[in-house]
Amino acid sequence: MNDFIHTFFDWSQIKAVLPSLLSEGIWNTLLIASLALLLALVLGLLVAILLISPNRWVRLPGRIYVDILRGLPAILTVSLVGIGLPLAGIAPFGQSPLGYAVVAVGLISAAYIAEIFRSGIQSVAAGQAEAGRSLGMSYLQTLTLIVVPQGVRNVLPALANQFIVAVKESALVYLLGLSVGERELFFIAQQRQAVTYNSSSFTAAAMCYLLITIPLTYAVNWLDRRLRDGRDRRSVPAVLAPDPVGGEPALLSATGPAMVLDPSIEGTS
Amino acid sequence: MTITPVTSGPHIELREVCKSFGSAQVLCDVTADVGHGETVCVIGPSGSGKSTLLRCVNLLSAPTSGTIRIKGEEITPTCADLNAVRTRIGMVFQSFNLFPHMNVRHNITVPLRRVLKLSKEEANGRADTLLARVGLSGLASVRPANLSGGQQQRVAIARALAMEPEIMLFDEATSALDPEMVKEVIDVMRDLADSGMTMLVVTHEIGFAREAADRVLFMDNGVLTESGTAEQMFTEPRTRRLQDFLSKVL
Repeated sequence: MNDFIHTFFDWSQIKAVLPSLLSEGIWNTLLIASLALLLALVLGLLVAILLISPNRWVRLPGRIYVDILRGLPAILTVSLVGIGLPLAGIAPFGQSPLGYAVVAVGLISAAYIAEIFRSGIQSVAAGQAEAGRSLGMSYLQTLTLIVVPQGVRNVLPALANQFIVAVKESALVYLLGLSVGERELFFIAQQRQAVTYNSSSFTAAAMCYLLITIPLTYAVNWLDRRLRDGRDRRSVPAVLAPDPVGGEPALLSATGPAMVLDPSIEGTS
Repeated sequence: MTITPVTSGPHIELREVCKSFGSAQVLCDVTADVGHGETVCVIGPSGSGKSTLLRCVNLLSAPTSGTIRIKGEEITPTCADLNAVRTRIGMVFQSFNLFPHMNVRHNITVPLRRVLKLSKEEANGRADTLLARVGLSGLASVRPANLSGGQQQRVAIARALAMEPEIMLFDEATSALDPEMVKEVIDVMRDLADSGMTMLVVTHEIGFAREAADRVLFMDNGVLTESGTAEQMFTEPRTRRLQDFLSKVL
């Protein structure tokens, strides 16, 4: 029992590693996760727009991207991007592994986020796209002004959740070897463990991850609840409070699942 | 308002329009005209193809065969200016289809700004004029979810009218409303019919068809079974199917 406590909860070890975890690791972890998410949001939305196209040849590249990136272990993708690319002479970020880490984690997240966006966009009632088209708006205008904003709102909690995943996946950068100053949480803990043969540094890193992920998890749940039942309640003048029947949002009463990109309403844009 | 020169031919011409979804034929050789300024109501049992017929007029559904002409110009799903054609044809849906993420004014101004390229001031001015016309001044900054069904549908009508269309299509515009809200929407539609708008109206409101329609089309099973003036159709229906239908709804 003493061995167990000594291995995982050696206070002196934890105290020794904690300053660099908090001053260096946590920020680099958050930096990698944030930049990766940013890349993933942009790329994911583009892929999602491919995925919902009525044209199968447009859908195909999106589908291939998602299938491959979701089908590979994250550690393999990180290796391919972070180790493989520089070896092949493609080194836009030079020797610094941080850029490759962001790209690798971002590419993986983009595949999941594309599917999140796709489901959100397709959950928007078909009548919304029809209304846009009937007003003379083009396919792209209808998509960007009407359908996507509603679809994104539907999936905000799932997107926030993807940030938590990115925080955790950022640990895989340790594969690429980081120099002092750019080390993230896991790398610092792992280096320390290698020197001391004591796992308390892992425990300290674990606490740091939980410090980020647990509040985020609760924030996601809160956001989810708010979007579910708090919709539009802020700006309601009391006199206009909806009656139970007539006030039902038109969106929800529209029948059937959305086929936003039903070719029959596509026409030319 | 764009002045539409009165031409001699009909405003909307449907010639042998057919529509199939897979093996199910929903419209079968429908031929009909709607004259300039005419209000034509389409009645018939559920699933008879009324809505599909209406959706073919602005090509939300593309006909499988047959031709549709607006003022003598044929429109097809591949014609280059389909969006331009649609701006000339307003449509009001059963489920309103207001954009829930925008307030009432924004719902009206988005197509004005993005499609007609109006300035912000012009668009807002037009929105306010139209909201006054449907009796909803003062609700411009409210989100659709906070309006009653009748109010939402009137906003939807205002949104379509703001584009200054020459034709208005109504697809069961009152079917999703509580009975006490039907009247406020019907009143707006009646005013519009009186103002000389060309209207094609799919409706279950026999009362409206009887009072406001210049002509009535009766659809049954995808076939245009009978047509005539409202008076003629409701007092002396010729076909057995229309007699049966009227005996159920009147």
